[in-house]
Amino acid sequence: MKRQKRFEKLEKRPVHLDGFVKEWDDEGLVAMHSKNDPDPSLKVENGVITELDGKKREDFDLIDQYIAEYGINIANAEKANAMSSQSIAKMLIDPNVSRSEVAKVTTALTPAKASDVINQLNFAEMIMAVQKMRPRRTPFTQAHITNTLDNPAEIAADGAEAALRGFPELETTTAVARYAPLNAISLMVGAQAGRPGVITQCSVEEAVELGLGMRGFTAYAETISVYGTDKVFTDGDDTPWSKGFLASCYASRGLKMRFSSGSGSEVLMGYTEGKSMLYLESRCIYITKASGVQGLQNGSVSCIGVPSAVPSGLREVLGENLMCMMMDLECASSNDQTFSHSDIRRTERMLGQFIAGTDYISSGYAGEENSDNTFAGSNMDVLDYDDYESMERDLAVDGGILPITEDQAIKIRQKAAKAVQAVFDGLGLPEITDEEVEAATYGSTSDDMPKRDMTQDIKAAQDLMDRGVTVSDIIKALDDHGIDDTAQAVFKLAQQKICGDYLQTSAIFDKDWNCVSAINDNNDYMGPGTGYRVWENKDQWQKIKDIPWALDPQKVDF
Amino acid sequence: MSSEVDDLVAKIMKELNGNGGTATKAPAQDTTSADPDLTAKDFPLFKKHPDLVKSPSGKELKAITFQDIVDGKVDSKELRIAPSTLRMQGKIAAEAGRSQIQNNFQRAAELTGVPDDRLLEMYGALRPYRSSKQDLLDIADELADKYHAPICSNWFKEAATNYEKHNKLKGDN
Repeated sequence: MKRQKRFEKLEKRPVHLDGFVKEWDDEGLVAMHSKNDPDPSLKVENGVITELDGKKREDFDLIDQYIAEYGINIANAEKANAMSSQSIAKMLIDPNVSRSEVAKVTTALTPAKASDVINQLNFAEMIMAVQKMRPRRTPFTQAHITNTLDNPAEIAADGAEAALRGFPELETTTAVARYAPLNAISLMVGAQAGRPGVITQCSVEEAVELGLGMRGFTAYAETISVYGTDKVFTDGDDTPWSKGFLASCYASRGLKMRFSSGSGSEVLMGYTEGKSMLYLESRCIYITKASGVQGLQNGSVSCIGVPSAVPSGLREVLGENLMCMMMDLECASSNDQTFSHSDIRRTERMLGQFIAGTDYISSGYAGEENSDNTFAGSNMDVLDYDDYESMERDLAVDGGILPITEDQAIKIRQKAAKAVQAVFDGLGLPEITDEEVEAATYGSTSDDMPKRDMTQDIKAAQDLMDRGVTVSDIIKALDDHGIDDTAQAVFKLAQQKICGDYLQTSAIFDKDWNCVSAINDNNDYMGPGTGYRVWENKDQWQKIKDIPWALDPQKVDF
Repeated sequence: MSSEVDDLVAKIMKELNGNGGTATKAPAQDTTSADPDLTAKDFPLFKKHPDLVKSPSGKELKAITFQDIVDGKVDSKELRIAPSTLRMQGKIAAEAGRSQIQNNFQRAAELTGVPDDRLLEMYGALRPYRSSKQDLLDIADELADKYHAPICSNWFKEAATNYEKHNKLKGDN
């Protein structure tokens, strides 16, 4: 065929490197609704759910059983499920109906009914609904802090910079698994040096991760995965009862946690039962609710390549975020793993969550260059900061990331790198050299860092665990080296774990250790003039307006 | 309002008189009825009611000082949440309409008394294909008898029944 020149040019655009597939219901390659999804149904007898979404109690699988037992507010269930899905969908976007009124209905729905409600909404309506239904009034976002060499000074410096830019939560993981305790400590110290009150996590295997928390190296956890089919849940090496117990283990040590789930995981793991991504995700959301976990990271997360390939996929992703909020759960709304070569689609990906505002718009945003992101890259990274901040300024939206000056960045990065240098010295870990501190201060990627002896680091990490080092030793190390403010911040974090305020829904700390959650910062959106408006948060708006690269027209010679 | 204050006073008195140094010994149900009624306006406890928040051994939150930690005078086990605090946070959650969170915190309150290593083993035992039905029932007994954790004990019994029905016991894979 003789090629048409415009089509030849279009094929060279980055979007053509992305994956797109047609729907296939029987393999679960369908976003919002599969022909195999059950019709909503519910029967309650003597306070017990005896039929759920087309299944009788004796036919329940383990997930149905768990949801029926714990996940649905039974008292209001028959009434709520008798309402039309359209009327519930209208409540979601009606500014005259408060969030708490809507939640009374939505927390009593069945998973299939909640899915049907989401199916009534177009993308713009979902944005409206998310704006009202997110539990915390003030939106924030979260960052990943990693590098491919697990360099501790760089983790601390990137963590401190992200903390200063406004992220209240930071998440690390490892390139080499046995680095976990070092990464966890480096991030905690860096975060407290950057902005006291920022909480940190280290995403590793479930039991190891809890162990890090028990020692006080982390303050929360998020990658506690749940799945929508029984087979995949088992392949994930858990059951609803083990995950529910794990949730209580975390709370018993004063550690905040949320579950993690997302559309597309069952497709990737090969057992969808031919159900839609939205319906399977609804089951994950209900498992979370049933477990009494305060929140969920969802929105496809690391499986985004699957929903983004099918029609209405990114609408589905915002829809599952919304469903999480309808269940009165904190929502860390993904915008996580990279999925597109197209800058336009990268922007599209986060548009709904960004405009509406969620508890954490990204979970997380790459707080390093994507080449150093050991979560396999994020939808946006540090090199997108200025674009992102411009969008916040253009649209007067608080996306949770603030501009800082180069001078501020250098100072805070150096402070954090020195703090972690002191901690490594105090704990008897392999030295962080002055050269490393300098490189972490001025560098941008791990390519800029001197190479460490990784074998020694790994040995030291194991030794540190064997010696039973805890957060008290970190506080002492900082104090011994005269790094008083960071020592105090780590101490205050330890105090907060005794107190447990931040176990409540959607909780973060501000710079003065005030706990801000859905309890005391309850989303009160009811139309124009209500809810969170960034220009009413005057300090924040001033910072967003004052991007360092804006000209002052009164000082420009024309 | 006055009855709330009374409850608070009663609670404080009970804490002062009764919880000298061994709160972790019988963590779960001993003071449930005396826990104060808390609502959103009592949150955050750190700012509003620091006096009600105790360390596992019964020390007041503010009595655990930075200097004591630096001087090595504080066992790291003291930097942990106490069962009474979890139950108070549970009440605040339930008051805000989140009864499932309260259930979770009640389970958690029971688990504060289980040592770290044993807790991790218990979690491992609940993972699929790890345990026989009897293994799970034995842990249920241990939770009830050794740790005074009736809710968590029930959790294991329930798992045993459901794992048997849905083939998640050792040897079922």
